[in-house]
Amino acid sequence: EEPPGAGTGDDGYDYGKGDFVEHACRYCGIHNPACVARCNVPSCRKWFCNSRGNTSGSHIVNHLVRAKHKEVCLHKDSPLGETILECYNCGCRNVFLLGFISAKAENVVVLLCREPCLNVNALKDMNWDLSQWTPLIDDRCFLSWLVKVPSEQEQLRARQISAQQINKVEELWKTNPDASLEDLEKPGVDDEPQPVVLKYEDAYQYQNVFAPLIKLEADYDKMMKESQSKDSVTVRWDIGLNKKRVAYFVFPKEDNELRLVPGDELRLRYSGGTSHPAWQSVGHVIKLTAQEEVALELRASQGVPVELNHGFSVDFVWKSTSFDRMQGAMKTFAVDETSVSGYIYHHLLGHEVEHQIIRNTLPRRFGAPGLPELNASQVLAVKSVLQKPVSLIQGPPGTGKTVTSAAIVYHMAKQGQGQVLVCAPSNVAVDQLAEKISSTGLKVVRLCAKSREAVSSPVEHLTLHYQVRHLDNSEKSEMHKLQQLKDEQGELSSSDEKKYKALKRATEREILQSADVICCTCVGAGDPRLSNFRFRQVLIDESTQATEPECLIPLVLGVKQVVLVGDHCQLGPVIMCKKAARAGLAQSLFERLVILGVKPFRLQVQYRMHPCLSEFPSNCFYEGTLQNGVTVNERQSSGIDFPWPVPNRPMFFYVQMGVEEISASGTSYLNRTEAANVEKIVTTFLRSGVVPSQIGVITPYEGQRAYIVNYMSRNGSLRQQLYKEIEVASVDSFQGREKDYIILSCVRSNEHQGIGFLNDPRRLNVALTRARYGIVVLGNPKVLSKQPLWNSLLTHYKEHECLVEGPLNNLKQSMVQFQKPKKIYN
Amino acid sequence: RVQVRHKVVQVDPKEQEDFDRELRALLQESLESRKLEPRVKSTLNMTVPMKIVEGSKDSRATERESGEELTAEESGNAGGGSEVKVCVRVLVKKGHKQQTRQMLIPGDCSLVQSTKQQEAALLEE
Ligand SMILES: [Zn+2]
Ligand SMILES: [Zn+2]
Ligand SMILES: [Zn+2]
Repeated sequence: EEPPGAGTGDDGYDYGKGDFVEHACRYCGIHNPACVARCNVPSCRKWFCNSRGNTSGSHIVNHLVRAKHKEVCLHKDSPLGETILECYNCGCRNVFLLGFISAKAENVVVLLCREPCLNVNALKDMNWDLSQWTPLIDDRCFLSWLVKVPSEQEQLRARQISAQQINKVEELWKTNPDASLEDLEKPGVDDEPQPVVLKYEDAYQYQNVFAPLIKLEADYDKMMKESQSKDSVTVRWDIGLNKKRVAYFVFPKEDNELRLVPGDELRLRYSGGTSHPAWQSVGHVIKLTAQEEVALELRASQGVPVELNHGFSVDFVWKSTSFDRMQGAMKTFAVDETSVSGYIYHHLLGHEVEHQIIRNTLPRRFGAPGLPELNASQVLAVKSVLQKPVSLIQGPPGTGKTVTSAAIVYHMAKQGQGQVLVCAPSNVAVDQLAEKISSTGLKVVRLCAKSREAVSSPVEHLTLHYQVRHLDNSEKSEMHKLQQLKDEQGELSSSDEKKYKALKRATEREILQSADVICCTCVGAGDPRLSNFRFRQVLIDESTQATEPECLIPLVLGVKQVVLVGDHCQLGPVIMCKKAARAGLAQSLFERLVILGVKPFRLQVQYRMHPCLSEFPSNCFYEGTLQNGVTVNERQSSGIDFPWPVPNRPMFFYVQMGVEEISASGTSYLNRTEAANVEKIVTTFLRSGVVPSQIGVITPYEGQRAYIVNYMSRNGSLRQQLYKEIEVASVDSFQGREKDYIILSCVRSNEHQGIGFLNDPRRLNVALTRARYGIVVLGNPKVLSKQPLWNSLLTHYKEHECLVEGPLNNLKQSMVQFQKPKKIYN
Repeated sequence: RVQVRHKVVQVDPKEQEDFDRELRALLQESLESRKLEPRVKSTLNMTVPMKIVEGSKDSRATERESGEELTAEESGNAGGGSEVKVCVRVLVKKGHKQQTRQMLIPGDCSLVQSTKQQEAALLEE
């Protein structure tokens, strides 16, 4: 798209399309040409509308009075055209003096000033009716037939400005004529940001709250990532199928929060030496192995020092794309009234809106071809969603929300209201959904960020870049020829490159336009390739893991019907900046709508967990409503000889008394005793006939995760490779996933410091609901029991005789005393 | 059509008073400044250019006849009640040239009442 190293990147996105209209009212944003007038004072020239809003005078009159300006010009598209209002006789432009008179019998009117023209004696003898002089400004408002009063709808959709704000901004304009209303709200550098609220007056207030939070998070993210440089990196070289250079190297992550993901951009540098001059190139991460080896596809194809292997440096290249798109979506939401329907606009802002029903002929059956039969609660969910402009679907763990979502999308697409947009915050979720929807027979296009095109995907055949390459394979196709040339040579001449790009763009558009459903991440919905598309129906999966501005990106493309799928009882979006998180950026739109009183439709039958495992989560997080769609028999692990303390109850809490330690980085925790016992449990599972891919080890702390990986590979008593194949992950990154057997290491074990991450009930919910066949929890009951939720979990295990201690081959019920739970938890 | 439940807009009486005071001051100041100016009696140029008015009457196919009454719906003001609108010509000067522009004004506006009365009187004669 641009020369390597250009600033905007391949996702460079101009979010100015819904930008400020010049003739928008500077107070409220209304820009209907019939309703606005421009102040004609040369130093001012601002536009205002003729609505009163929340003040006694209309906005234009308010401005004229407060600024002591007196001249006005009408819009070129108004009934009178671009006209400066002035006295017909003397040319006086003071609108406070002007009024209309009519000619007797002719239906002709003119503007005439009150002083002196209206009082000129000679006029009395002429054909004008002076007695009916009508002032231009009446009741603090321009005559509504000269400058229309905006409709109620328009006024409700506009920025709600108060008299105080008007006075303040007028004051500001005296010294800075270009100041905006946002400048009034700008917090100082050290101020705490304004926290989120439940209801917003208008989209401008919404933007005023969220824009600074996104900015904080972006700044933090940038600072974090750019501080990740590594020196003395050893590289091995390879060449990709597309003839591009790929560098492999280990880029060890510290046990902090930063996670490298495919698609990230890194800069590889060689600072130069006796044998080779300095060199550098930027590339995209296309693969990450479990051993933390990174595969980086380089942009540069020439001059790569492939004869060297040592002494390289790696930096993170931070990109603002996703944050820019969130800011852009909020701006569009505010200034472009076609961005979302009126109903959704008011609904999202928390205004009280009369309920609306979408009158559609409902399908006879609610399932869809290629999908499993739906259960009763899934059918009800599909049915209710199809009739509402805004719906929330809550999918507790294992309740089939992907299948339900796919069925909803199938029926929406069949309604003939245009293409359906399907999004989720993570690429994994988008891929899963794209695959399910595609199995119903609908034409699905999976749009990937350009930086991820080289990343392998389970739904490769659905991706836009794959379809572009495979649309027309005939020799005649010019694009195909150029593509081949590019693949062979690595690059094209600049004229060929131009031609190639134009052809590619046209092909992309063609494929996108012929799709029934387009799937992408929420941020991907801001891709320039979709900027001319409109989507009336949008479904967002995992919406409880997205921030509000992120959710807004797919919505402002013209949404009239929106379905948010998620589970607010599981973990929300990850916010790195504590200040932004404290101010409420971590609360999802789904969650806010629930608090506002929108009742989510809950899927109630879970198909994942052994009924013994679902009992506690159901009672504790879902008011006992979770039903089991699997039987005990279906979750019996036959042939597996594992020492469960209670046969037929594949769970236990393994009492650990080892102390926690602060990890090397100083930002995380680890627990050696628990790690050692995790290895013993894993070994026992493997010996009993379980294969590595069935086991997942999860822990809330990155420090412990790293320590367990290390410990098992060094101390595991079986073949090393077996331990390498076992997935060890943080609880948070395991949300949305499952394994047959889960081992949970709690880590925290101290007298006074508390239990940190474990305090969040949503994290406990996620941790307890990943296993299908069995779960082992390792932790210190004395410490954990102080927290009410953990106390009831421990009590639950104790009552079922599953709270145990001692060696694995001789587990005994533990008599450890619990502490009284504290009432308040933070 | 979206039904948003109305919030009652309450204008702060103090704000209104303050605003009215400033508005009156501005009006007064404007009037005073004009009163001091010498009156220009001789340059009165207020004859209605009959050519323009009559000339445009011929092109009825494309334009509405002056004085024609429209129902609210015709005038594109759906939802605005059953208000009747009257089409008038606004006479403006563009430099030294006179032009008219059409505009719809409410039938009950005092500005058109006298015209109507005169027309009625004419018909009776
Ligand atoms: Zn002004
Ligand atoms: Zn306004
Ligand atoms: Zn005058």
